[in-house]
Amino acid sequence: MTKGLKKYLKKKIFWFIVTFIAAIILNFILPRMMPGDPVNAIVGKSISPGATAEQVQEQIAFYKHQFGLDKSLLGQFGDFVKNAAKGTFGVSYNQYPRTVSDIIGSGIWWTIALQLPAILVGWILGNLLGAVAAYKRGIWDKAFMPASLFLSAIPAFGAAVILLVVFAVNLKIAPVNGAYDPGMIPSFTPKFIASVIAHYQLPFWSIVIISIGGQAVGMRSMSIYELNADYVKYARFLGIKDSKIVRYVFRNAMLPQVTGLAMSIGSMVGGALVAETIFSYPGLGMAMLNAIGSSDYPVISAITLIITVMVLLASFLLDIIYAFIDPRVKAAQFE
Amino acid sequence: MSKTMLEVNGLTTKYITRFHEDVYAVDHVSLKIEQGKSLGIAGESGCGKSTLALSLMGYYFPPLHYTSGDIIIDGKNISGMDPDEVRRNVLGTEIAYIPQAAMNALNPTRKIYKFIEDVILAHNPKANKKDIYEMARHRFSELNLPLEALDKHAVELSGGMKQRVVIAISTILKPKVLIADEPSSALDVTSQKVVIKMLRDMMDKGFIQAMIFITHELPLLYNVTDDIMVMYAGQIVERGSAKEMVFDPVHPYSRGLMRSILVPEEGTRDAKLIAIPGTPPNLKRPPQGCRFAERCRYAQPACRYNQMPILDFDQGRSYRCGLSVDELREIYRKEDEADAQAVANPVESDGPVRLTKGV
Repeated sequence: MTKGLKKYLKKKIFWFIVTFIAAIILNFILPRMMPGDPVNAIVGKSISPGATAEQVQEQIAFYKHQFGLDKSLLGQFGDFVKNAAKGTFGVSYNQYPRTVSDIIGSGIWWTIALQLPAILVGWILGNLLGAVAAYKRGIWDKAFMPASLFLSAIPAFGAAVILLVVFAVNLKIAPVNGAYDPGMIPSFTPKFIASVIAHYQLPFWSIVIISIGGQAVGMRSMSIYELNADYVKYARFLGIKDSKIVRYVFRNAMLPQVTGLAMSIGSMVGGALVAETIFSYPGLGMAMLNAIGSSDYPVISAITLIITVMVLLASFLLDIIYAFIDPRVKAAQFE
Repeated sequence: MSKTMLEVNGLTTKYITRFHEDVYAVDHVSLKIEQGKSLGIAGESGCGKSTLALSLMGYYFPPLHYTSGDIIIDGKNISGMDPDEVRRNVLGTEIAYIPQAAMNALNPTRKIYKFIEDVILAHNPKANKKDIYEMARHRFSELNLPLEALDKHAVELSGGMKQRVVIAISTILKPKVLIADEPSSALDVTSQKVVIKMLRDMMDKGFIQAMIFITHELPLLYNVTDDIMVMYAGQIVERGSAKEMVFDPVHPYSRGLMRSILVPEEGTRDAKLIAIPGTPPNLKRPPQGCRFAERCRYAQPACRYNQMPILDFDQGRSYRCGLSVDELREIYRKEDEADAQAVANPVESDGPVRLTKGV
C-alpha cells in the first residue's frame, strides 16, 4: 500500500508541477494581452498639463525602463519569474513604487478573514440543513427544498446588493462599505475591533447565504441516496441502532461535499471579488479589480498566480485526504 | 421429536404506495420449520418472495406495513412486540437476514471488523472490543474465511468473498433462524456452490437452527433445502418435500416453474423449454378467484370466480387449485406422453419452442 501511495504521490506531484508551470506562463501572458497601455495611463495622470511632447516621451521612456517594459517579452518573462522567486513580484505600475507583495500582503488577510469563515459557516449550515431535511422528510423537507433552491439560484452580487439595500441603506443598521470606519487607524483597540465586526456582517452573510442553498441541496440528495442504500437496510436488520446508522449515512453522504468545500476554499480569492467589490472591502478581490482597471500587469499576474496555486493546492490536498476518508477511492487509486 | 423453530400463522403484510393504495404482497402465509431443517421458497420475480423475507423479520419500515398474523420463533411470538425491542432482542440474535444484494450490503467506508463490532455492541453494549475482535477472528477461521478480510473494506473483497463475509456477519450472534434472500443469484456457479456449502455448514455446525432459502430457481432448491414452498402473487400455492416438489409438482404454476428451467441431464438436448405465458397479476387489484387462473393452461371458467383455499393432500403436502390432485396428475401424464411422442417424431409446428434440434 505504501508503495502504491508513493507512486500515486509522485504522479500527482509531477502533474502539479506541470500545471504550475503552465499557469505561470498564462498568468504572465494573459494580462499583457489586455487592451490598454499601463504606462500611457500613468503618464497621462501624473504629468503636468503644460508638458511638451518631448517631456511626455521622456516620462514614458523612464517608466518603461523602470518597469522593464522596454525589454523583449522573453526578457520581461525572465524578470517576472525572478521577481516571483524572490517573492516580491516586482513593483506595481499603478501604485509605483509600492511592491506587489506589499499590496498583496495588505489585502490577503482581509480576504481570508472574510472568506474562510463564511465558506466554512455556509458549508456547515448547508450540510446540516440538507441532512436534517433528508432524514426528517415531511413538512420540514417540503418547505426547505424550494427555499434552498431559491437561495442557491441567487447570484452572488444579488445577495450582496439585497443585503446592502435592506440593512445598510433602508434600515441603516450596518455600515455601507469598507472594512472599518474610514476615520480610524487600524489598531487593537476595542473601538476599532467593534468597527471591524460591524463592517464584517454584510459581506460575510452575503457569502454565507449563497453557499448554504447549494450545499444543502447537494447534501440532501446525497443523504436520501445513502439512506436508501442496501447497507442501511442490512444494518437495520442486524439490530443496529438508528443513531449509529445515521452516522454511517451522513459520513458517506459528506464525501462528495468535501470536494465542494475544498474547491470553494481553493477558489476563495476569485470568489471574493464580487462581495469585496460591492462592499469596497479592502481584500485581494478589490486589489485585483483595481489592477485590471489600470492594466497593472505585475499585480494581476501575482494575484492570478495565487489563485492558481490555491486551487492546485486544494485539489492536491483533496486527492490525498479523499484517499483516506473513502476506501473506494483508495482502492481505485493506489493499486 | 424435534421442536419447531419457526412457525408463521396467517402472516399478512402490505405495501402502502405513494398514492395510499394497499398492496398485499404477503397474503395469509403460514409455514413451519423444525429444528435443523431448511425451507426453500421459489417463485417468479414480483411474486412476494422477498417481501415475505422482509415480513418474517418482524420489523417493518415504510412502505411495508404489518397487517395480521403471528411469527413465532422458538416458542416466542414476536409479531406483537415493540419495534425497539424487536431490534434489540430479536434481529440478529433470534432471526437474521442475508439480503438479496449482498454486494451492496456492507457500508463502503467501514472495515469489516468495525461493522461486526457495531452489530455485537447493538445487542450487548458492555462487550469488550478486544473480545469482539478475537471472537470475530475465531468465527472467521471456523468458517474458513481469510482473517485478513476482517481488516479490509468491502471494496477490497471479491463478490463471492463479500457474500460469504455477509453470511458470517449475519450469523455472528448465532441466530435461531436465518433467512437468505437469493444469496447466490448474483454469483457465478463456482461461488454459488461455495456459498451454498457454507450455508449448509452453518446448519451442521449449529450456528443456525433453521433456514429459509429464497430463490427464483426451483430446481436449485433440490440440492439445498429439505422442503420447498412455491409462492405466487403473495400466496403459497404449493408445499412439499424438495424431492416431491421437483419431481412431482402438482400445482400448474409449480409445474410451469420446473418446465421453464433447463436442468442439464441426459436428454436436455431434446428437452423443451416452456415458458409460462403472461406476468403475475397486479396486487393492487388481485383477481377475484384463483390468482394464477389467467395464466393457467388448465383453468376452468369457475377458477376465475371461486376463492381457492389451500388444501392438504398426501403426507405433509398442500396445494391451492380448483382441480383435484388426481385430475392434475392425469393431465400432466398425458402431456408428458405427448411431449415424448413429439420428441420421437419431430414435426415442424408452431408448438412449444425447442431449444436444440435433435441430431
